[in-house]
Amino acid sequence: MNTHLTDQQLIDYQFDLACEADSNEARTHLEKCEACRKRLQELARKLSALEVLRDDVKASPELLSTTIRTAMRANDRRILLHRLPWLGAVAAAVIVGIALLSVPNRAGKDAMSLSPSAPGVAMSPRPKGAVEEPPLAEQAVAVGHAAQTGEMLAMNGTRDSAGPVRSVPVRAYLDFQEEKITPYGVTTNGLATAIDEQPPFAPASAIELVVLPRREDVQLTIYNAADLTLVRERRNLTLKRGWNWLQFMWANTLIDPTSLHLEPLEHKDRVEVQQLVFPPRLRELGRWLIHSEIEGPTPFELTYFTSGLSWRAFYMGTLSQDEKTMHLEGYVRVNNSSGEDYEDAKTRLIVGQVHLLDAVAELARRQYAYGSPVLTGVLGGVADNGLFLEDKSLVVAQVFNYGGDHVESLKRKDIQKEGLSEYFLYTIEGTETIPNEWGKRLLSFEANDVPVKSLCKYDEERWGDRTIRFLSLANDKEHKLGETPIPDGTVRVYGRADEQGHLSYVGGTRVKYIPVGEEVELELGRARLVEVKPVLMDVKTENHTFDTKGEVNGWDRVRTWKIEVVNAHTLPVEIEVTRGFETAYWSLTPAGGDATYRKHDATHARFELTVPPRQTQVFEYELTTYHGVRQEALSVK
Amino acid sequence: MGYSDENLIAAHLKGDPTAFRELVRRYGDGVLGYLCHMTGNRDQAEDLFQETFKRVHEKAHTFRGEGFKSWLFTIATRVTIDGARRRKRRVAVSLDQDSDCEESTGSQLATVADENAASPPDELLRQEQKEQVRKAVESLPTGQRATLILAYYQQLSYREVAEALGCSVGAVKTQMSRALATLAQRLPDSIGATK
Repeated sequence: MNTHLTDQQLIDYQFDLACEADSNEARTHLEKCEACRKRLQELARKLSALEVLRDDVKASPELLSTTIRTAMRANDRRILLHRLPWLGAVAAAVIVGIALLSVPNRAGKDAMSLSPSAPGVAMSPRPKGAVEEPPLAEQAVAVGHAAQTGEMLAMNGTRDSAGPVRSVPVRAYLDFQEEKITPYGVTTNGLATAIDEQPPFAPASAIELVVLPRREDVQLTIYNAADLTLVRERRNLTLKRGWNWLQFMWANTLIDPTSLHLEPLEHKDRVEVQQLVFPPRLRELGRWLIHSEIEGPTPFELTYFTSGLSWRAFYMGTLSQDEKTMHLEGYVRVNNSSGEDYEDAKTRLIVGQVHLLDAVAELARRQYAYGSPVLTGVLGGVADNGLFLEDKSLVVAQVFNYGGDHVESLKRKDIQKEGLSEYFLYTIEGTETIPNEWGKRLLSFEANDVPVKSLCKYDEERWGDRTIRFLSLANDKEHKLGETPIPDGTVRVYGRADEQGHLSYVGGTRVKYIPVGEEVELELGRARLVEVKPVLMDVKTENHTFDTKGEVNGWDRVRTWKIEVVNAHTLPVEIEVTRGFETAYWSLTPAGGDATYRKHDATHARFELTVPPRQTQVFEYELTTYHGVRQEALSVK
Repeated sequence: MGYSDENLIAAHLKGDPTAFRELVRRYGDGVLGYLCHMTGNRDQAEDLFQETFKRVHEKAHTFRGEGFKSWLFTIATRVTIDGARRRKRRVAVSLDQDSDCEESTGSQLATVADENAASPPDELLRQEQKEQVRKAVESLPTGQRATLILAYYQQLSYREVAEALGCSVGAVKTQMSRALATLAQRLPDSIGATK
């Protein structure tokens, strides 16, 4: 082929748009023709600009939530009608489930179950072994329901898919006719029977059915410094009278299983969480044994530590036109890569150092919460049935290194000032939904008209020939701040570029933790509109002294400096010019200009002056440095 | 983790609300991006976004069990067309209106304040590049634009694009070819040179 390929042919070839024959022909041509190869590269490069639009649109969490809500609300009625044929079966299943719950300690034999992913609690009575076979019809109902539940679980370990706790019927069927509804909504077969002294056996069975009590309320306390978050969540569990097994799963999350803690919020004298077991062979799940003298819904608080949640602070300041005040906004960005979605979570952030013995993420990935189940250690032992047992009080006391109610202990870290504690706690108002793999920026505070002082500094030894701009303010009431310490973060400052309020970037810096009452100076980088030009006008030596041999042993060097300060800004500028002399033996005489000076330290003098807008100011000084024995002369002076 | 779209739809049909939520989260960015590029207006795109997933929710039972993504974009395309018709009936929108499909729906400043934001000059350059590319894409005829977005940005196969747009694979390839040829002319050289 003699002619070159057209752009269209090259594009078709590149994007697999040509038919096979054309494509082969183009390939053959390209192998021989360098010009076409080059053109193809050019086109590919040009079209690669399309990449800048890839993923440039993100759906906000609010939009997603609204969309989900809208779609579900709009279709509620329709779905109900659509599923009417199911209702009978579902209702039957629920009734049978209720029946199961009511059988007091039927199973001594019931066990809890598991879900393959995400932290969640699950309850389900499970009959032991091959006991009485139910009638076929009942089996069908049970299997149908079980299959449904299993699939719901398989989605994402959803706690909230199943609503409040209900028992899943599998093989519960006896005594059904005699049961009646209790005020708690569960059933009892009449007379309260005695509770077995021994808890039921909980085999390490991997195949279970579950019900998923949804999370009612969740609170996150994020200790940023240590990649540690305390999660406190409340779930309503429906207990039956007697022994209950409760399973907690944390697959694919970064939860520290050694930190799990469960306690009832009501009926504390009648409901007791007795032990936590980690069944062998089964990864990332634990089972609590709960002894209950009541039956019905009971609120529980579940607490644990997780890794993967973090936050950081950043600030945005907008200077007023005269640059005497600043509008300051503080933001907190919370990132969630913990593997778990937290919906409507109350979020609290801890500023300060936390000492951790083990990395939480490491603990989360252990096969067994405390190592191999066949080893007995300080924290637990092997039960008769081969399960790894954990005593609640041991876990809490030893892992967290505190005694008593650890939740209360954590509460005590509530807002405390620097000096009293190394912690400070920020609470974000309301609740936030923070899905896994999402980051969320939240406004932490906003202050209007914060008085600030703008100052330029020139110091060749520190910044070369650049003039650096500083902004100072204090975290106190006078500066309309001071309600809380300000955590570490990045500050970016903008100025108003014109009357219309358009903004220009002034500069940014990182700030360290600013306690209440403390003053802070923000270094905003180069002040491009302010220039300092030192010029050496004259150098001479004088007052030479000689030793007995007639050699020079002392002299004074006198230098005359002219410093020109140019302010191209539309506002007056206060500036500090620091001059270093490399010797402690010096004296200085102002020789012109309005600058005042003071000795900054042994080897430096600092000049201060204010330069009006768009003006240049010049000041001069004569510097005398003393050398050799002349240094003594200065000391005598 | 990583349940297929088809499993999620099946679970949704069985009444699992989390399955639908997962689908919305999984395809939220893609669908919104498609609608944004099709309408050139973030507000309109968000309205259509809600309408799209509302239809997905109610029409889930009509899904045939494979090719969820193309089915989803079929709905999004229909919703876009319906939306355009409605708007045409209601009010004539100026063609000169600025595209506002930037990610930042809130304060632009707040975005700049983000710690991860590039330095202001780089950010400005990047925004300018995006704007040029966006204008070039939005100047394409509707069919070519839809094809380009689905095939290039949403990475649907040509067959899936054909299903979504209700045309033949050949027609899709023709539209794509023309769209790319037009863009090769309209995209400035300097953009390609700058990463």
